[in-house]
Amino acid sequence: MKRIVRAACTVFVTAAAASAQTRPAAPILRARHAAPTVKVKVFHVAGSLTLIGWDRDSIVVRGRVSRGDGFYLSGSDSGVKFGVESRVPEREDPLPCDLVMYLPRRAQLSVKTVSASVTASDVSGWFYSVSGNLRLSGSATSLDAQTMSGTLDMAVTSPWVRARTGSGHLLLRGSPQDVDVATVSGTLDFAATGVLRAQAVSVTGDIHYVGAPARGSIADFSTHSGAVEFVMPASASGVFTLSSMSGPIENAFRQIRPAGSPTQGMRITLGRGDSQVTVRTFKGAIRLRTQ
Amino acid sequence: MTDPTTHLTEEERQTLADGTIGADRAQAARAHLRACEACADDVARLERTIMRGRQLEEPSTDVGELWPGIRSRIESTKVVTLPAEPAARRAARPLVAAAAIAAIAAVLVIAVWLGVRTKVGTDDRMASRGRPDTVASIAFVDDSVRAYKEEAQVLLDRLELTRSMLEPGAAAAIDKDLAVVDSAIAELQTAIARDPRNPELRRLLATSYREKIEVLERVSNAG
Repeated sequence: MKRIVRAACTVFVTAAAASAQTRPAAPILRARHAAPTVKVKVFHVAGSLTLIGWDRDSIVVRGRVSRGDGFYLSGSDSGVKFGVESRVPEREDPLPCDLVMYLPRRAQLSVKTVSASVTASDVSGWFYSVSGNLRLSGSATSLDAQTMSGTLDMAVTSPWVRARTGSGHLLLRGSPQDVDVATVSGTLDFAATGVLRAQAVSVTGDIHYVGAPARGSIADFSTHSGAVEFVMPASASGVFTLSSMSGPIENAFRQIRPAGSPTQGMRITLGRGDSQVTVRTFKGAIRLRTQ
Repeated sequence: MTDPTTHLTEEERQTLADGTIGADRAQAARAHLRACEACADDVARLERTIMRGRQLEEPSTDVGELWPGIRSRIESTKVVTLPAEPAARRAARPLVAAAAIAAIAAVLVIAVWLGVRTKVGTDDRMASRGRPDTVASIAFVDDSVRAYKEEAQVLLDRLELTRSMLEPGAAAAIDKDLAVVDSAIAELQTAIARDPRNPELRRLLATSYREKIEVLERVSNAG
């Protein structure tokens, strides 16, 4: 499974790079010098926004803005804000447009969109969208991403990641160290490796975990009515504390029947018990499966 | 620039309002303001905001003057009057302490003995009821639930105030998410009413309230 995830990541990165190269470059809207840790604030209503971290001390924005809309970028070397606004009185919001921004890798972003999708690689910061899909990849110092009804796909290497969706699918890949992910009713797929601290929560969405807990890691999975499914290699090592008020608990690693009390719970030690995993549900099923 | 259908840029409006616009652009921008009511209104609004912000920078009262009063209020709540203790009870205190230490030691010995005995073969089953830490755990989680509940109410009130300013679609998404979380909370409250000493249920309730708060906190971003 690890190989499949790795291959999928490689295909995704290659496809993204190829698509960026084959697409004709849109005209430069603005370019300016920027400090390596420049703070960048973006408000983009509709369309798409691509953010690419690079090793230069400058910011470049490319794209085409619709007639009647205006692009603005203001600020200093240490902080800029940019976006597109309507400059005609007949409509409040600008029309959808596609923007591509190159910025220093260590820049701190604050991105907000309404329906615009965001694709970002090798950048850090805060990302928020009402209904847009967010796709974040590469290395980052920290990432905080939220979308209310869009989907969220993270394939990142980062010391700290926080991700939230409302009804959208949440997919976590890559190698983040400290993870805090939650969804209300979307499906949460947890396929990240090397995670040391994790908290994954859903209300009704199912949680799928694929991989093996890292040695010394602590993870907490909680859902009200979603199912929690762990697909792990036979070599997985950890102490699994599983409890469900009324959902079934299935363990494919050992033949154990769940307790018949109202508080159903079991503790299972796999391998040498090198990690600690707690799973808690109200009525969702808990399943441990082998790969 | 004086064309009223082409408005000033965000940067021009901001710099006009705070007076940092370059001399080369100032004349044309001001000419546009005379011709365009929308830009003029916006710049005037920005000027008022900046003015208010500058006024706020100068506190009307010296914080140092307020501190003694605040401190005395804090100190007064720290003092708790204890009831007078009879002399007989004071005399008996060393005996009570010795008995308590002996009782704790006995309980510890029994607990260790039971722990060693039950460790073998019970790894697969966890009993959450009857544990000594259950009561403390319930109290702790109850505190969290109470705090989350209060915070959720504040945020719900704020949502109602800002609902009309939300982006299209945002209000519907928030309402949908809240309905899902509220349904989970209602189910958990019913379950807790049936099984009030179950700490796991209370933990799940606290988690659901935390989710509700997070949904509500997104409202401030959606505006």
